[in-house]
Amino acid sequence: MATTGNKNINAKLVLLGDVGAGKSSLVLRFVKGQFVEFQESTIGAAFFSQTVAINDATVKFEIWDTAGQERYHSLAPMYYRGAAAAIIVYDITNQASFERAKKWVQELQSQGNPNMVTALAGNKADLLDERKVVSEATSTYAQENGLFFMETSAKTASNVNDIFYEIAKRLPRVQPAQNPAGMVLTDRPAERTASASCCS
Amino acid sequence: MSSDSSSSSSVSDGFADPNSDPKLIDEQFDSLTLNEPVQLEPNRRENGNEIADGSLNPERSNIVAEDDGRLRVEDQEIFGEEELPSPSSSGYAGGRGSSSATSPSRMGEASEINDDEIQELRNDGSLGVISDSHASSWVPGKRHVDEDDASISWRKRKKHFFILSNSGKPIYSRYGDEHKLAGFSATLQAIISYVENGGDRVKLVKAGKHQVVFLVKGPIYLVCISCTEEPFESLKGQLELIYGQLILILTKSINRCFEKNPKFDMTPLLGGTDAVFSSLIHLFSWNPSTFLHAYTCLPLAYATRQAAGAILQDVADSGVLFAILMCKHKVISLVGAQKASLHPDDMLLLSNFVLSSESFRTSESFSPICLPRYNPMAFLYAYVHFLDVNTYVMLLTTSSDAFYHLKECRIRIETVLLKSNVLSEVQRSMIDGGMRVEDLPVDPLSRSGPSPHLGKQSLASDSPERPREPCIGLGGPAGLWHFIYRSIYLDQYVSSEFSPPFNSLRQQKRLYRAYQRLYASMHDKGIGPHKTQFRRDANYVLLCWVTPDFEFYAAFDPLADKALAIKTCNRVCEWVKDVENEIFLQGASPFSW
Repeated sequence: MATTGNKNINAKLVLLGDVGAGKSSLVLRFVKGQFVEFQESTIGAAFFSQTVAINDATVKFEIWDTAGQERYHSLAPMYYRGAAAAIIVYDITNQASFERAKKWVQELQSQGNPNMVTALAGNKADLLDERKVVSEATSTYAQENGLFFMETSAKTASNVNDIFYEIAKRLPRVQPAQNPAGMVLTDRPAERTASASCCS
Repeated sequence: MSSDSSSSSSVSDGFADPNSDPKLIDEQFDSLTLNEPVQLEPNRRENGNEIADGSLNPERSNIVAEDDGRLRVEDQEIFGEEELPSPSSSGYAGGRGSSSATSPSRMGEASEINDDEIQELRNDGSLGVISDSHASSWVPGKRHVDEDDASISWRKRKKHFFILSNSGKPIYSRYGDEHKLAGFSATLQAIISYVENGGDRVKLVKAGKHQVVFLVKGPIYLVCISCTEEPFESLKGQLELIYGQLILILTKSINRCFEKNPKFDMTPLLGGTDAVFSSLIHLFSWNPSTFLHAYTCLPLAYATRQAAGAILQDVADSGVLFAILMCKHKVISLVGAQKASLHPDDMLLLSNFVLSSESFRTSESFSPICLPRYNPMAFLYAYVHFLDVNTYVMLLTTSSDAFYHLKECRIRIETVLLKSNVLSEVQRSMIDGGMRVEDLPVDPLSRSGPSPHLGKQSLASDSPERPREPCIGLGGPAGLWHFIYRSIYLDQYVSSEFSPPFNSLRQQKRLYRAYQRLYASMHDKGIGPHKTQFRRDANYVLLCWVTPDFEFYAAFDPLADKALAIKTCNRVCEWVKDVENEIFLQGASPFSW
């Protein structure tokens, strides 16, 4: 949950998406300004933090870059629980990754924080020739589901900072005023730990 | 075979071996071309001009008696080691005549494809790497994915590992694409179930120089096909470790998936873990932990290790199950919560998992892992963070919500380590290395006072007047080339640094294979266990000594004198005891397994 104090906002952000969609590449581009062509698979989840300044406030993102591998799916709630924002990433050259993204949208809508700012990122936008997912259809889908949608390229850095800034801008508006103290402690801890094994 | 003297040019490795007699080399190649392991001819080295003494019988094993905790020689012949494969057969002795593919006498082997192992060894071997830096020069990951069981190159690979399900579905293959190997996997499954239907279990099939080793773990089958002549027990141990690595990633509750659906396809669940398995298989060739079932520590001053241990203990008291600080594959310190003990195999699998996944190096990670020896059914959560390029902290907990707590713990640990200079000491130790046979003190008892690093008499060793016993060529006193000392109580071992003649990876690997064979024969349930063993072959003298407290393995120059070698072993053991506070982690919760 986003927490605020003197216009300094802490926001937990989670990246979800299929294997190889480019979640880690987006984060590394945003946090470190780096890009490697053959990014290795993430194990479990990697934690990053990065601060951005929006108007007169600063937003400190605590970013969970989750692994897209199937064996980690049942663990995703551990990472998106209490998140203020999510970026669901797919690869524009891979239709299956878009289908997987839709499933993540569904899961967040049913399980996640209802005030979560959710972005849909069509990554690898530099690979126009290999495009499989049409952006117009995706825009419609995003509008229908209350997501904001951008096509990004971690390789060329196109729209990468923009998507994080856009999230940062939207965060204060959904700031729950009734919860100024910040962190919502987990009030349902047991139900998720039960499904901690890989394939129950 | 003609005694073509041109073949002598192929002997060019780093051995201090003055014999360039082509006849001798031909004899070596003679034995190489044989398909089956054979007994060495006793007079095999009679042409070696340096051997005038008939007492140097290459295959002689002598009884070395133990007395008052010291070794001494008895002049009796032999106890049965015939079951050990002769070191003369291919793959083992092949290293001696290095790039000998040009030799006509090796034509029988020339068709053998240089699999990766060999190529990589050649490449690196020429660098003359002495430290264990090959661990970093080796790039994990799957190779030859384009191959399948129809490829000649695939069939020629020396060591295959397969994981498959009991319905015959491929799960992992070291070489080639698993999906293309469906037919081959089905064949393996058919062999296993055919024997099982007869109410029996297949463990080992020998076919020429190939061994096929089977391991059945519930619905998961593991198979190794090898022509490396490693003992069955070693290969079986390797399959056990591979299974452990699988459990570390998925837990044993994977079995439930097979109960629900016998045709369950497990490969998607292992997505992205090729590097973890290939790196483990690589470790089988160069990390003694894989067969000793013990871990090794980075040498550090006692106070430095204590400082690291104190902060880890502090963290463990705050609800962390295990707090582990490691540098590459070596332990700096580790602490377990009360009554929690960590098995050396779990440590090996965990560090392999972390070191082989590049992902852990980019930032802090929080990942579910399972320690198969601790609890194969449940996930723990591992917080992993690299403090520098080689040094990393692993904090294990049972709570999936503990990330922020563990992150704070890590910050505290890092602050203390920086303040007390532990990290700089770690880096210095990495550069200084461990024990070296050349530094073996002449008389450890005469030394007085604590010495700076591992009892090295740095001043004395610089002085040309330093009294030394006569050495045969390279290495330490009495031709000592290398040793491993394993403390049974601590579950830790210390191994000397590689020094000449173990310059190349190929020679190092061959030495480890020899130790591995020695270990297996010492622990053989049929003919053992043994207390001592002294073996001499064309490559080295190997000496092994097992007591209730420790196991000691040493390699000497093949011409080393036995009495002197034994005396030297006693000195090494004293040396180890002298510096045990620096090379071992003391007072860690005893591993009660």
